Amino acid sequence: MKTTMKLTLLSAVFAASALLAAPAAMAQDKIHITNLSYRTGPFAATGTPVMNGQRDYMLMLNARDGGVNGVEIVYDECETGYNTEKGAECYEQTKGQSIVTQPWSTGITLQVLPRTNVDKIPILAPGYGFSPMTDGAIFQWAFNPPASYWDGASMILQQISGANLDSLKGKKIVLLHLDAPYGKEPIPLFEAYAKKHGFTFMSIPVGVSEMQNQSAQWLQIRRENPDFVLMWGWGAMNAGALTEAVKTRFPMEKFVGIWWSGSDADLKTVGEAGKGYRSISWNVPNSASSVMQDVKKHVIDAGKSLLPPAEFDYVFYQRGVVISLFAIEGVKAAQAHFNTQVVNAEQLRWGLENLNLDAAKLEELGFTGMVGPFSTSCSNHTGHAGGWMLEWDGAKFVPVSDLLVADQDMIQPLIEVEAKKYAESNAPWPVNEDCKS
Amino acid sequence: MLYRVAGQFKTSYQADYALFPVRQDAWLLAFILLLAFVVFPMTANEFAFRALLIPVLIYSLAALGLNILTGYAGQLSLGTGAFMGVGAYACYKLVSIFPEMNIIVALALSGFFSATVGMAFGLPSLRIKGFYLAIATLAAQFFLVWLFQKWAWLYNYNASGAIQVPNISMFGIAIAGPQASAITQYYFVLGIVCAVTFLAINITRGRIGRIWKAVRDMDIAAELVGINLMKAKLLAFFVSSYIVGIAGALFVFLWRGAAEAELFDIQLSFRVLFIAIIGGLGSIMGNFLGAILIVALPVLLGIVPRMLGLPITSATVEHLNIMIIGALIIMFLILEPHGLARYWQIIREKLIIWPFPH
Amino acid sequence: MEFVHPILIQPFADMMSAPDFLIQVLWEGTVSGVLYSLIALGFVLIFKSSRILNFAQGIMVVFAALTLVGLYERGVPAWLALPLTLVVMLILAIAIERVVLRPLVNQPDIILFMATIGITMFLIGLGETIFGGENKRMITQELGIPTGNFVFEPFGGFVSIEQKDLTAVIGAIVLVVLLLVFLNKSKMGRAIRALGDDHQAALSVGISLSTIWVLVWFIAGIIALATGIVWGARAGVSFALEVIALKALPVLMLGGLESVSGAIIGGLMIGILEKLFEIYWGQPLLGGNTEAWFAYMLALLVLLFRPQGLFGEKIIERV
Repeated sequence: MKTTMKLTLLSAVFAASALLAAPAAMAQDKIHITNLSYRTGPFAATGTPVMNGQRDYMLMLNARDGGVNGVEIVYDECETGYNTEKGAECYEQTKGQSIVTQPWSTGITLQVLPRTNVDKIPILAPGYGFSPMTDGAIFQWAFNPPASYWDGASMILQQISGANLDSLKGKKIVLLHLDAPYGKEPIPLFEAYAKKHGFTFMSIPVGVSEMQNQSAQWLQIRRENPDFVLMWGWGAMNAGALTEAVKTRFPMEKFVGIWWSGSDADLKTVGEAGKGYRSISWNVPNSASSVMQDVKKHVIDAGKSLLPPAEFDYVFYQRGVVISLFAIEGVKAAQAHFNTQVVNAEQLRWGLENLNLDAAKLEELGFTGMVGPFSTSCSNHTGHAGGWMLEWDGAKFVPVSDLLVADQDMIQPLIEVEAKKYAESNAPWPVNEDCKS
Repeated sequence: MLYRVAGQFKTSYQADYALFPVRQDAWLLAFILLLAFVVFPMTANEFAFRALLIPVLIYSLAALGLNILTGYAGQLSLGTGAFMGVGAYACYKLVSIFPEMNIIVALALSGFFSATVGMAFGLPSLRIKGFYLAIATLAAQFFLVWLFQKWAWLYNYNASGAIQVPNISMFGIAIAGPQASAITQYYFVLGIVCAVTFLAINITRGRIGRIWKAVRDMDIAAELVGINLMKAKLLAFFVSSYIVGIAGALFVFLWRGAAEAELFDIQLSFRVLFIAIIGGLGSIMGNFLGAILIVALPVLLGIVPRMLGLPITSATVEHLNIMIIGALIIMFLILEPHGLARYWQIIREKLIIWPFPH
Repeated sequence: MEFVHPILIQPFADMMSAPDFLIQVLWEGTVSGVLYSLIALGFVLIFKSSRILNFAQGIMVVFAALTLVGLYERGVPAWLALPLTLVVMLILAIAIERVVLRPLVNQPDIILFMATIGITMFLIGLGETIFGGENKRMITQELGIPTGNFVFEPFGGFVSIEQKDLTAVIGAIVLVVLLLVFLNKSKMGRAIRALGDDHQAALSVGISLSTIWVLVWFIAGIIALATGIVWGARAGVSFALEVIALKALPVLMLGGLESVSGAIIGGLMIGILEKLFEIYWGQPLLGGNTEAWFAYMLALLVLLFRPQGLFGEKIIERV
């Protein structure tokens, strides 16, 4: 009958939703790891290389070792375009199957954070997300190894002050940041530092729609004439800021970015003119390391990678490889502890809480010098591995410092305050009382 | 056959203007409500609730609000996203200032805030028309989103500048916040959407609705026959923004759980406008059909390749998805500029005279 | 009267105390104004000839620039990539006329407007599928655009003018002059204007609607390419450009939807005023980022007093 036409239209939704239940019930002899990626949209420029790295490490393990301890890893992506709405949809879509969620944006992280307590799935947000997530007693399901934004802020201040923060007294420091939760993240810590060490701190936001046209922000920087400009930028904002800095004749030696503002691709747009620009980073590319050589042999040369060949040495690509290392080591730890092959989300949570990547371990896995050694615990979900200052020499990033370690004396009290505030405003919020450190 | 109107005699004007002039319409509605209230909740899983059913309902409500303004009163607006934001932030402030307030009361009150703001930005409509007015509403869109970012009081001075929905319960059942289960949220949203839709149907088919239609079709002519244009237009802005505001509050409280100012950007406005236009301007049912197409279809399209196991990356799927939606919009506009609701009308008319087409 | 000082006196004192800085601000405003004007020009051309508010102009800018860079990346030399891109824009114009516009003739304005949003989404998807979503470097040197800086040092400070910005301004002026000559002197140009004045009358004297539409969309494509090159040279080519294109809308409101000169003056006005407001009022008093809404608010205020825009023709209403 014709009436059914309309009903079909309406029930299409319902029929499809019924079908959705099917994949979740699939045979569980593989480990599913889904990444909420963004290879489209205004932030794709910085997202894509990292996601390539994450993907290639997993593919390499499958090709070289047949997975993790014999269990194949199914790496999948769900495209968010850095859009929080798509992100929430992807989270809902993948949480049944994937044993970890990697939201890849501070905005999406904030949105799924409260839900993970209920859904019992760990968030792995390496080097991003909400800095107070360090407090594992409150944020039981969230992990941001190996360093939080507050760690990054602290390391940058150490480096630009020559390890003596009192030398910043009377100086003016500007934070040029993306006007989104990510960019606002370090502000409380900088304000605390400014109060303690007597420098002037000022934040200049860049709206998403102004990322490529920052002339107003840079005119303001020119007028304020700060001693340092620190950048919390992402996507198209980085290249925009660098070109404006060159134009405003702002000295590159005084311009320092967080790890997400240190993409080779962004610096290539200014080339020689960006010489002297520095970026703090918790990883250092090392193309000669055995793991990168294995990735090259098993994935890139085998034609399975999505990576343009020229980007192999990029900081962001190799950072992606390191990020996948964290996830896999979490899986391994859980496999050993629970004496099982196919770990589930709850077991992985334990694994991520008991990561132990000391120097010997990194050496053994072939990650020599690519990331600082760290370990996580119940009360410390970050690990605080520290990082290096990288400097753009006109063609590539080179490390110009030894391993820097963040000053936890300043950060820890702030973490406690903010984590508590979060738990209170989301009451009733479950707190793991066993691991008060 | 199924839609035979024979034997249903109208003996008064009241009967002719009744809500269901044809008995079968009522049956159909009952069937849809049965689906919505009984069948879907019994079959849907959590993903279906959170990614399909709840957003479709909320977007329908927002489109309904816009449709009252654009489809009934003829005032084009591109500021819907920002008005949704006003509703959401108002609800957030109400809930954080008066934690004991019942969530339904908070929702109803937050609508008044967006209605007031909407009316203020509707004032230029007395002088500006057509596209000029549409672009003028963009001022509301951009200014309000900027305000959401800068006015720290709105998000309780949260360091990340985002608002997060606290746990809210009603009669001991968690309604909003992370503890709430998808099915309660679905029923809550469904209840509100049904209530507002019922009100909207009756407003639009009554005296006020007719005044709006007269203004839409030709405002000068309407003025000449004694309609107070200022009252009519501002009332349309008020009612429309009220509904849009409630939709915005539901959007954050019952679905997203957290929001930043950028959520309410121009893309959201366009999305809601698409739903209203594809569904059919000047139609209540169209909003629901449009929302199914614009909100649910991309979700389903994104899943199909994954289920078939096609070796395409999710980025490519997303690109193709945008292309398909764009092509579909053009296709629907070409095939039926009056929207999906018009299709239903055509089918219904054919059914009534079936099997004798003349 | 405490609050008067920072609003009415301090900004002007600031301007006077650092005139080199003021010149820089004005220059930056002019450059963005030129870019707004160019995009608005694309809108006006299409609106004049077909009464369509072409929302897709922004994405056409991105698409044209992406095609140019994409061709270059695939090994096509820059001198060849430029005409090839024009061919692509011509094909696009023909396709839009055939597939979208022709079936929608005589539909209400809003339907056509929505159709152009559909085109926008289609082109976003198409562009990302073909060229990928990442930020690309505009092939500035390869096209022979100088990239250095002119630095002047008046009043003891400095004013830095990028050569590519200067090229952009000069290029835009040339383009506008050519366009005006074309519209006013050539046969085709007159046909476009005739169509803008009265569809029926134009058709009855034998002007072909579809040819003109293809032509107009193609010209809009050329303008889009020029805009894409200029803007891409400033900050790379990516889909984020599409957002900036919305700024052309308040320019249109100010200038009037049908006036070529209105688009240019409106664009410059908005570019300069929003920059001045942001630097001297927005940043010190309102926390910055006022450029996001200033143009719209200004246009709204103007419209309240002149509903047809500054340069639009007076609207006469009949029942």
